[in-house]
Amino acid sequence: MASSPDIRVALLGCGQIADAHLQQIQRIRSAKVVGVCDVHEDLAWQAAARFSVPRHFTSLQRMIEDTRPDVVHITTPAQTHAPLAIELLQAGCHVFVEKPFTMDAAEARDVLRVARQTQRRVCVGHDQLFDPAWLTCKLWIRQGRIGQVRHIESILGYPINGTFGNLVAGNPQHWVRKLPGGLFQNTISHPLYRITDLMEEDQPQLQGGWRTRNGWNFPTELNISLHGTTQSGSLTFSTLLPPQRITRVYGNTGLIDIDFDAQTLRLSSQPRLPGAFAKLESASRQFGNGLWNLQQNFWKFARAEIHYFAGMKNLFAAFYDAIQHGTPLPIPPMEIERVTWLMDRMFAHCREADRRFEPSADECPNPSLNFPEVSECL
Amino acid sequence: MSVTALVTGGTGFLGRRLVSTLLQEDVRVRCLVRPTSDLETLRNSIPRERLSRLEFVQGDLSDRGAVENALSGVDVVYHLAAALGGSCSTMFLNTVVPSRTLMEAAAVNGVHRFVLVSSLGVYGTGTLRRWGTLDETTPVDPHPEQRDPYSFSKIRQESVAWKLREELGLPLVVVRPGVIYGPGRSVLTSRVGLSLGPLFVRMGGGQSLPYTYVDNCAAAICRAGLTPGIDGEIFNIVDENLPTGRKVLKSLRRYGKAVRSFWVPRGLISPLSAVYAWYSRWSEGQLPPVLSYYKSEAIWKPLRYSNLKARQKLNWTPKISTEEGLKRTILGETPAFSS
Repeated sequence: MASSPDIRVALLGCGQIADAHLQQIQRIRSAKVVGVCDVHEDLAWQAAARFSVPRHFTSLQRMIEDTRPDVVHITTPAQTHAPLAIELLQAGCHVFVEKPFTMDAAEARDVLRVARQTQRRVCVGHDQLFDPAWLTCKLWIRQGRIGQVRHIESILGYPINGTFGNLVAGNPQHWVRKLPGGLFQNTISHPLYRITDLMEEDQPQLQGGWRTRNGWNFPTELNISLHGTTQSGSLTFSTLLPPQRITRVYGNTGLIDIDFDAQTLRLSSQPRLPGAFAKLESASRQFGNGLWNLQQNFWKFARAEIHYFAGMKNLFAAFYDAIQHGTPLPIPPMEIERVTWLMDRMFAHCREADRRFEPSADECPNPSLNFPEVSECL
Repeated sequence: MSVTALVTGGTGFLGRRLVSTLLQEDVRVRCLVRPTSDLETLRNSIPRERLSRLEFVQGDLSDRGAVENALSGVDVVYHLAAALGGSCSTMFLNTVVPSRTLMEAAAVNGVHRFVLVSSLGVYGTGTLRRWGTLDETTPVDPHPEQRDPYSFSKIRQESVAWKLREELGLPLVVVRPGVIYGPGRSVLTSRVGLSLGPLFVRMGGGQSLPYTYVDNCAAAICRAGLTPGIDGEIFNIVDENLPTGRKVLKSLRRYGKAVRSFWVPRGLISPLSAVYAWYSRWSEGQLPPVLSYYKSEAIWKPLRYSNLKARQKLNWTPKISTEEGLKRTILGETPAFSS
């Protein structure tokens, strides 16, 4: 059987996340990066030099004309995603958009409408849904190991004193600061889609809000609960925690705890032994679980399968398959729109909560927005 | 008439010393700073009677308007601001892109001297034999993309500067300091070895380290902006009697800051680096490509470093000896390691 020709990939926007895209695309045998583009020539040049990309550009139109890519990855600031995606779709390219997909749901709908009209395909960078740990978790859920999913808890630790955080904090003009959902909008889709992937309810009720840590002049902490009729979710974004990506899925007979950074999964279920014996049973199961994780990660290491962006590679490969062979899209358009719309609702809810609960000087002895004190006041 | 200097990165580790040195030389100093920069540490390091000659202008180096405003009435620009950490694209975005904006603006705003503080890391060592002498005639690395992000961004920054000198007549002088150390910054750098969690891996140990004490370096940079007749010149800045890795670790022990380390003999560094690079490629990045034969040669190849040109043309001599510099740094330093 004749193999398909390589898919020609171009990339637009050569910032930090572009490195991850280029690394993972290069791991896909059937993909070939034909060009990179950035408004800053120096950025486009360095990406081309490091990843041996044959051409680099500062003009998108020129890149499209000269390299004729099948698919273009958009890794620019979020404000530009929708107009660029529409331009590329109309130019006949399939488009992969880094998260957040667009600024809001209205823009997302526009992009998806143009994709339908032009019969081109669109995907968003919800890559952790294709992370090996998440795929195992989904398999265990399908096998009924925790029963019916009742609650999903998703945590993102995001210290703001890192390189990127400093950049965002130090520059009020930084593009992240100008997003409707600020710092959260740039990253929160990851913990959110880990909830929505398992939540059947489309319109959960929201509770919670965002807070500003002492010393910062924009919201830095976010806690939101999502309540459906049979399921609930809880999302925590905290700059007070060390970097971590953790999700716990609670079923009616057990729970799965996934640590994406450690690539470990912990499965707990109701003990079968009575009373004090149950304590021995639970501990021995955790011991067995630990051994299983050690064995899994040992062999993955030996086979060179431990990659931080493994999910990204799997997602790209599935998207390219959808383009080349007509397989289903890895992230359905409806899911893209759903997550974007839910983010709009969450940010609107937080702003509304801010207005309702803004403490007056009388109510709060220290109006300097020290995080723990504000919590008490609220 | 008094000279007016614009300093970028003036609140940083080296910048504070440069500002202080310039004020001693009766120069009027304007610092272009970000809104979040720590101005107090700099102010507190300056004698009160000199503070009237120091001013701050807030702005972003990538903002052409802010840069033009800061350049008004300036004779000399000292460009120190650069990213010290982060990914390669972050380094380019925070070093190369703003440098281009600043240098273009300086070229058309008629400054008399633009001092670019580059790095000794821009040199390629492929043309040098072991124990050969690295000086200003040594070529810049021909494959910067194979180096670490910092060196890569500094090489590109310099190449943009030289191009703007050709195209717009930027009155450029380039200073290439070695590893700058001093109180507040560790003497244990990647030139000595690599930190692996609580352990320190000493790479070789007999090779000279191209170190320069921060006050010595600031004095040389100051002169590069004020010495006449050196337009288009490059100056390497390293101190006299350079230390070795072994000496640095010995000094740490002597001043009660011993570090647990193990030693990789010099003959094994390059082969081990090549094996690491092979594994990194084979595993498609399971271990990041932080080490390669090419990189290890650039960092740990035994060389001699010359500062003759700076001593002759800038009339500069390092006032603080290496022995004294190590002592001050170790006794005053806070971080355990720096990369």
